[in-house]
Amino acid sequence: MSRRTERLNRPALSLHVPEPGARPGDEVDFSHIEIPPAGSVRRPDPHAAASETHDLVTTLVRVLDDEGKAVGPWDPKLDPDTLRRILRDMLLVRVFDDRMYRAQRQGKTSFYMKSSGEEAVAVAGTHALDRDDMTFPTYRQQGILIARDYPLVTMMCQVYSNRGDPLKGRQLPIMYASKAHGFFTISGNLATQYPQAVGWAMASAIAGDSRIASAYIGDGSTAEGDFHAACTFAGVYRAPVILNVVNNQWAISTFSGIAGAELTTFAARAVGYGIAGLRVDGNDALAVYAATLWAADRARANLGPTLIEFFTYRVEGHSTSDDPSVYRPQNAGAHWPLGDPIERLKQHLALHGEWDEARHEALVAELDGEVRAAQKEAERQGTLQSDPFQDIPSMFEEVFAELPWHLREQQAQAVAEAEAKRK
Amino acid sequence: MSVMNMIQALNSAHKVMMERDPSTVVLGEDVGYFGGVFRVTEGLQRDYGKQRCFDAPISETGIVAVAIGMAAYGLKPIAEIQFADYIYPGFDQIVSEAARIRYRSAGEWSLPMVIRSPYGGGIFGGQTHSQSPEALFAHIAGIKTVIPSNPYDAKGLLIAAIEDPDPVVFFEPKRIYNGPFDGFYERPVTPWAKHPAAEVPDGHYRIPLGKAAVVREGGEVTILAYGTMVHVALATAEANGVDAEVIDLRSIVPVDIETIEQSVRKTGRCVVLHEATRTAGFGAELAALVQERCFYHLEAPVARVTGWDTPYPHSMEWAYFPGPVRLGLALKKTLED
Amino acid sequence: MARYEFKLPDIGEGIAEAEIVQWHVKVGDQVTEDQQLADMMTDKATVEMESPVAGKVLEVAGEVGDQIPIGSVLVVIETEGEASAEKARHDSAALADGMVEPTEAQEEAVPSLAEGRRGGDRRQDERRSEQDRRGEERAEPGRRQSERREGERRSDEALGANGKRPSPGDLVGLNPQPEPPGKERLQVLASPAVRARARDLGIDLAQVKSAGDRLRHADLDAYLLYNGGAVGSASRGGAAPRRDEIVKVVGLRRRIAENMQEAKRRIPHFTLVEEYDVTSLEQTRQMMNADRGSHPKLTLLPFLIAAMARTLGDYPQINATYDDDAQIITRSGAVHMGMATQTPNGLMVPVIRNAERRTLWDLASEILRLSDAARTGKAAREDLSGSTFTISSLGPMGGITSTPVINRPEVAIVAVNKVEEKPVVVDGDLEIRKRMNLSLSCDHRVVDGWDAANFMQDLKKLIENPLKLLSA
Repeated sequence: MSRRTERLNRPALSLHVPEPGARPGDEVDFSHIEIPPAGSVRRPDPHAAASETHDLVTTLVRVLDDEGKAVGPWDPKLDPDTLRRILRDMLLVRVFDDRMYRAQRQGKTSFYMKSSGEEAVAVAGTHALDRDDMTFPTYRQQGILIARDYPLVTMMCQVYSNRGDPLKGRQLPIMYASKAHGFFTISGNLATQYPQAVGWAMASAIAGDSRIASAYIGDGSTAEGDFHAACTFAGVYRAPVILNVVNNQWAISTFSGIAGAELTTFAARAVGYGIAGLRVDGNDALAVYAATLWAADRARANLGPTLIEFFTYRVEGHSTSDDPSVYRPQNAGAHWPLGDPIERLKQHLALHGEWDEARHEALVAELDGEVRAAQKEAERQGTLQSDPFQDIPSMFEEVFAELPWHLREQQAQAVAEAEAKRK
Repeated sequence: MSVMNMIQALNSAHKVMMERDPSTVVLGEDVGYFGGVFRVTEGLQRDYGKQRCFDAPISETGIVAVAIGMAAYGLKPIAEIQFADYIYPGFDQIVSEAARIRYRSAGEWSLPMVIRSPYGGGIFGGQTHSQSPEALFAHIAGIKTVIPSNPYDAKGLLIAAIEDPDPVVFFEPKRIYNGPFDGFYERPVTPWAKHPAAEVPDGHYRIPLGKAAVVREGGEVTILAYGTMVHVALATAEANGVDAEVIDLRSIVPVDIETIEQSVRKTGRCVVLHEATRTAGFGAELAALVQERCFYHLEAPVARVTGWDTPYPHSMEWAYFPGPVRLGLALKKTLED
Repeated sequence: MARYEFKLPDIGEGIAEAEIVQWHVKVGDQVTEDQQLADMMTDKATVEMESPVAGKVLEVAGEVGDQIPIGSVLVVIETEGEASAEKARHDSAALADGMVEPTEAQEEAVPSLAEGRRGGDRRQDERRSEQDRRGEERAEPGRRQSERREGERRSDEALGANGKRPSPGDLVGLNPQPEPPGKERLQVLASPAVRARARDLGIDLAQVKSAGDRLRHADLDAYLLYNGGAVGSASRGGAAPRRDEIVKVVGLRRRIAENMQEAKRRIPHFTLVEEYDVTSLEQTRQMMNADRGSHPKLTLLPFLIAAMARTLGDYPQINATYDDDAQIITRSGAVHMGMATQTPNGLMVPVIRNAERRTLWDLASEILRLSDAARTGKAAREDLSGSTFTISSLGPMGGITSTPVINRPEVAIVAVNKVEEKPVVVDGDLEIRKRMNLSLSCDHRVVDGWDAANFMQDLKKLIENPLKLLSA
């Protein structure tokens, strides 16, 4: 650079810009990923001091081994029905995602985001929470709603922004909201929900409640100041909150190295804030369940937050607007060394004779039928393309509790304008 | 000369400046290898290296703040905020810092930096990919705010912004990245290739900040617009047979008061058009300026045609968007008054 | 107590509005039954409006110069006796819709009324809350203010999200500056450009009549046209220059202005001037006056009217009215002679009915009666309408020639110029004769020059041969 001073006999500086290991055309290479054996990581008491977790932030809590056996102190020892339910929910998320992705490609809606490969994080985590615990999700935790039996038709209506959309056509597809399901309204702005969850948890503590909050954030978004605010407040006030970092390693085209993953883990952020931290195999439903339960117990014991990094991989594109083959090797997800969460749980159940290929195929067929039926019903209430939510006066409602004069005026104008358009 | 869409023209502006001025650097989310989610920075990292064009962490605060630091050093950073809707974490750095550093250091430091951001609706982006926050920046003393409406202007204005000694917020109407959308959403999109402003010089040229363009001459009413709305104004005037003079402001701070005054004094009527919400929108400033300076030439109240004072709704995008019907009704009323 | 609304009755022939020319009462006055309230002028006459009830004047509909639609409230009078709630609500709604708004004090005094509207007409609600806001801006102290807020809140509820949504008819937002009713309406509404122009021209906008909801350039144009001649001439001598005087064109002056403007705008006039020898006629007139007995003194006018009335019988195309909108000419069987008359208020045209059938003496007394009535403002409506031809005479001040403006919808008018003694060549000799010009203006759309010339020549046969006139 021209400004470089020549008068000092010092070496020239240069800027380090992290770069992922493989780009399109390169061989997929995950050899740098360190994977400790399943069951090898100790499990501290949930009531232990936060510092007792700090050696766990750079390792990986795993329960399922390569054969599908549940091993080690983190095995939650779930009964087969619960496991089958988790399997079913993960499968349903995948089938649902697939149908909706296609619907977007068919022009029925504007946008969609799949959670392929990450289903365990939302689904297993939710099953480890109480039904009335509050979640503050990102746009990739549709699994929470599925795990809490949110009606598929209503979900689709939201995706379609149609007449049946409970959010009145206001939100981008997948930006669900349901108070009844403990699912906070999703923001398209990243990381904002994280400190809000801390505030909700602080309120629960202020009110003497027993409910806790669970917040989600992506690896990329941990760079936002909101992440720092959340950790600081959560630590200072020992807020009963679980701070989940879903490290799927990609923020659109930007790999996690740009968020600092070259230097340390995301779980290691906990150390600096003095809060408990865990790093967990996000594709291991049992590990997800166990870690979440551990953090929930800790929070309920008024011992404050746990920051959990779920190490996973975004198998598909960021959204329907994204083509990952432009910035990373094709099919990279297929090579992810921690495998597929559905396959791994299926393997585990089968190992114990609680599941088999035939039942699996039947379940897939059943869920596919269920989703298709729901889709038909949702489409009867329109799609964004054919019959979107168009109640124009409603556009002005809920800006405030009551309409001030200027919104009343604009509401009348909008109605008149719609009338004029019809002519 | 090449035929370019707005993305290509902006890309060309980057390349011209990175070629000419080694102090130009580009940073932002996904701007590096990938070339930006709208492809505006495509090829910059390849051609000029990772040290001059690189991905940023998802931290608008950080993006703006490090750009400030770079500009303070003497570089000319061009920071991309992926969507204008995401700019708010960086707002403090823009408002409290970028805008004031020249002033508070009595000129010791200045910040030749540009914050680029796609903005505006019309792409079914919902509440968080559709906003037009230009008025927030126009309100801040010490920030210039520029909004192009076509490829030719986009390149010339961006070069001028990069060369400007002060911080410039540069909003790119994403709805017209690929074609001059005129608000008639049922009609097929026209690509830029058929538009005269898609003829863009390959080299360096500047369009001065603060100089508006009269894009259509008329005698009955003046329409003040910028960005996408320029095309809405043109098409609506045409469709309604209104003898409207359409002024493309191109930059809202500084605003070309001379051109505005001249036109409104001629026509006696003025409609202000923007996509952003109405209350305290930039239209309010324009209406105030017009009444302050052209009061006794006014035959009718200055009308504001804007987005509603609601968040941008996903499915009712076209009921929100201030399109030809809303503008047409306002023109009719303004001409009747 | 009851509110009585005196609505302006139809005082003309299906007229739509009348102008207030004078108020005899003001707000707060006690009036008795039959007391004069106001003088209202229609196209034809000024009519005194009298009060049908006794009581106190609460409101008046406007100021002098205002046009009041027939059927709208002219005066509101508070009478003794009970008012039914139904009546009160009706009254109040009419007021809000019409021209005056109840004062705040009245609103406060009739709370049930406000309640009723809040549940009902939304426009009323909106007006009310607008008024409330304005009220708040006037910064009232404590209690009433909180009451207002409460009222506003409740009216909001009526409009709010409870399923009650606007229909396309509710175009509240499309008129962001609807003229507020009531007191505000008394302000002059005009665009800044109109104001600027008025200021440059030195025109007080309050003096300009608006054709619509506010003043436009066209209203200024009209004002300038009517007032062009009224702009005073500079004073002479060393005295300080006289200040400009703004004269509001109201009442009869405005009627005249409008009629003249319409006549000149619509009718292509041509004027024919002919010279008449009235030496014999004058001798005859003096003879007749010498032994007129109890008859009024004859002026030249009855002779001329008689001559014209008789001649017009042969020129039905001149003794006619022309409805140019309908494109219909009505050739009148009788000659109803309009007689342009200067009155203290300006020009009026009383009508001598069936002039062709009247004797000179009869004409003379009718001329006297009518001009007196016109000058004193006592002319009956039928005395002021229905003319088929008009004569305008200024006597000795009649000039040597003139270009009279036709009294629409008639098609011709004669102006009588002054009689002068002139040297005239008669049969080769120079003689002193009494000569006079008549100036005839005709509507060239329906009267040809040939007809006009012949009419003037035939007229000459009667005027210059009084015997013929007397025996005809």
